[in-house]
Amino acid sequence: MPDICLYAQVHQPYRLRRFRLFDIGTETEPFDDELNARIIRRVAEKCYRPANELLARLLQTADADFKVALSLTGTLVEQLRHWSPETLESFQRLVGTGRVELLGETYHHSLSSLADGREFREQVVRHRRMIREVFGVEPRVFRNTELIYWDGLAPVISGMGFSGAMVEGADKVMGWRSANHVYEAEMAPGLRLLPRNYRLSDDVGFRFSQRSWDGWPVTAEKYAEWIAGAEGDSVHLYVDYETFGEHQWAETGIFDFLAHLPGACARRGLRFVSPSTLAERAPVGTLSFPHPTSWADVERDTSAWLGNRLQYAAHERLYSLRSRARTAADPAALETWRRLTTSDHV
Amino acid sequence: MRVLMFGWEFPPFQAGGLATATVGLVKGLLRQGAGVTLVVPFTTEGVTLPGLRLLSADGPAPGLTLHRVPSPWPAYGGVPAYEEALAGMERHVRGSSGVYGADLFQEVARFAALAGEIAAREPHDVIDTHDWITFEAGIAARSISGKPLVAHIHATEFDRAGDGANPIIVERERRGLEAADRIVANSHALKRTCVARLGIDPDKIDVVHWGLDSEAHASDTPVMPVRLASPTAGSGYAPLVLFLGRVTWQKGPGNFIELAGRITRLVPEARFVVAGTGDLLPAMLERAAELGISARTHFAGPVHGAEVVRLYQSAAVCVMPSVSEPFGLVALESLRHGTPCIVPRTAGVAEVVANAFKADHWDLDEMTDKVVAILRYPVLRDELSRNGRSEIAWPRFGLEEPAGHTLRAYRRAVSPAVGAV
Repeated sequence: MPDICLYAQVHQPYRLRRFRLFDIGTETEPFDDELNARIIRRVAEKCYRPANELLARLLQTADADFKVALSLTGTLVEQLRHWSPETLESFQRLVGTGRVELLGETYHHSLSSLADGREFREQVVRHRRMIREVFGVEPRVFRNTELIYWDGLAPVISGMGFSGAMVEGADKVMGWRSANHVYEAEMAPGLRLLPRNYRLSDDVGFRFSQRSWDGWPVTAEKYAEWIAGAEGDSVHLYVDYETFGEHQWAETGIFDFLAHLPGACARRGLRFVSPSTLAERAPVGTLSFPHPTSWADVERDTSAWLGNRLQYAAHERLYSLRSRARTAADPAALETWRRLTTSDHV
Repeated sequence: MRVLMFGWEFPPFQAGGLATATVGLVKGLLRQGAGVTLVVPFTTEGVTLPGLRLLSADGPAPGLTLHRVPSPWPAYGGVPAYEEALAGMERHVRGSSGVYGADLFQEVARFAALAGEIAAREPHDVIDTHDWITFEAGIAARSISGKPLVAHIHATEFDRAGDGANPIIVERERRGLEAADRIVANSHALKRTCVARLGIDPDKIDVVHWGLDSEAHASDTPVMPVRLASPTAGSGYAPLVLFLGRVTWQKGPGNFIELAGRITRLVPEARFVVAGTGDLLPAMLERAAELGISARTHFAGPVHGAEVVRLYQSAAVCVMPSVSEPFGLVALESLRHGTPCIVPRTAGVAEVVANAFKADHWDLDEMTDKVVAILRYPVLRDELSRNGRSEIAWPRFGLEEPAGHTLRAYRRAVSPAVGAV
């Protein structure tokens, strides 16, 4: 019977406003504060607050081993602090239970790992400091933006003190092997890799409300049955936190599903484990990712952001401005530049 | 002389010259003492005809009556753009489907149907129309009032679409021009197109080159220039090379992007501004990225009013690489603001303006040479700027003189014995 590792990504970018030619050189901010406030409050109301309340209740009442991992980006935490501080407090209370593990990532949810190693490390360090200050915990396992990972990144992640990394269990990498095990990184033997079981994850993240799918409707009982039937040591389920209430509306029954999941799993003897606990387990083998892989689209590569020349030109241009942003007289310039590195913008 | 004029409405942006030309003509006619009833389709919320707003800002213009007829049709967008605008309008005005015609041709037919009713009501001596979209309306109006019909032609479908010309539109153009008692073309080049491609009798066509509304383009009003840092470190502000027009086949935006690639190699401090929008915009963005000039090429989107003035006054040179340019008002506007301009050799404006560089639209080397020369030699730029500006101050580039020629064309329509323009 495999264990379950349940993890959700929590992120919102600073959305851009329409920045015209005539705005260049003026004091105009590239970000749309009004829109950002509106979206943060809406998502908080539809997703973060009800999902947090539900998790808090489950952590109190469900079997003692129910646990979940979250990852909150810096751009999200800042915006919650501005526009929905009570939501940030509810996240803090969740983490305070000791059963919600927080992961490390880039503060700005950027593609810096693909562009600039120094910038990448700085953003990861900054995120770690923020998590420490806001939540009082130390991330042990790393998840890069959109699960982007390749062999070359392993020593960098390992060198920053992380014991494990979440990766996409892409067919092209896994081949005949199952994603339901703990592996080690080929280029950094100390680093454990936890591949996502994309079928079971996407059953919830993408297909939950898809009536044309023969698995619909997904009940907690049915889903627990699927997990119990899976081969391997541990099933790694990674979704966006916005799945609960935003991507899948409350009307789809997504909250009821989550409410009944721990019980349905407990009845089948399935146990929940945290990513850092998994990262202490012995690996069953080695995984090599020769090319950057991600959890995005069907390609599972970086083409969602760098797939056409226009995106690539914008990406190149953005990172070529790094040294100017760092040396600019205005200290806010670097922060503005970093907010532009958020991957949602390309 | 009382003129019943059928125009076509147009968003508040610098998307094409038809509205500018129509408004200019109306103003000129009013100043010449003519009475004008202008019938234009209704616009959506927030969409206005800038020139007419100018008129009403001075109080109700004496002699001008304005009728508005609902239409989502932007003047030069073509059939797909119409469908898009219609869809957008139906989304915008909830529950309005059925109010507007289902396609452009229905829209034109509906406009024509209303035209007869207006012609019966409004006293007039002559009917004037602007391009094929209003020809049907003019024909309908004449069938009611029996007054002579004048057809203004600003561009033919061949100019807008080349080999991709829509045969139905070509047929409408031909029908309208054949039906008209007199035709006013804005250049000899356009007259030749009408004769050669549509088989129109040349004796029926008067050529009246357009002028500019000096009030709408008062270049003496100081504006905040658009200043962009040079892409090469430490050399101050970048000289701007401007393209202003619809981003469609006719205007040759692809030539402009290729040109930008070449100029970048010779004048690395230059930046490029594409102001306008159209169906080729995505392809232009892609091509700029492909050439590696995305960071120095700015797609400003549709610009209007004061922004247009800012762009002209900020640009070092304005380039019109149009495949076809029956007239080319942009050249007059650019020169009015003292910005040297490169115009297509075959453009209507090239027939009348001396102080502009002329080049074939396909000759990228020639255009590159000319732009680079203007960017590199301030003396040349100043000379072109000063001479262009003083040339544009001549009465022939104002509103009254072209309006006077147009009035004569009207008179000839009313009594064919009046001499030629």
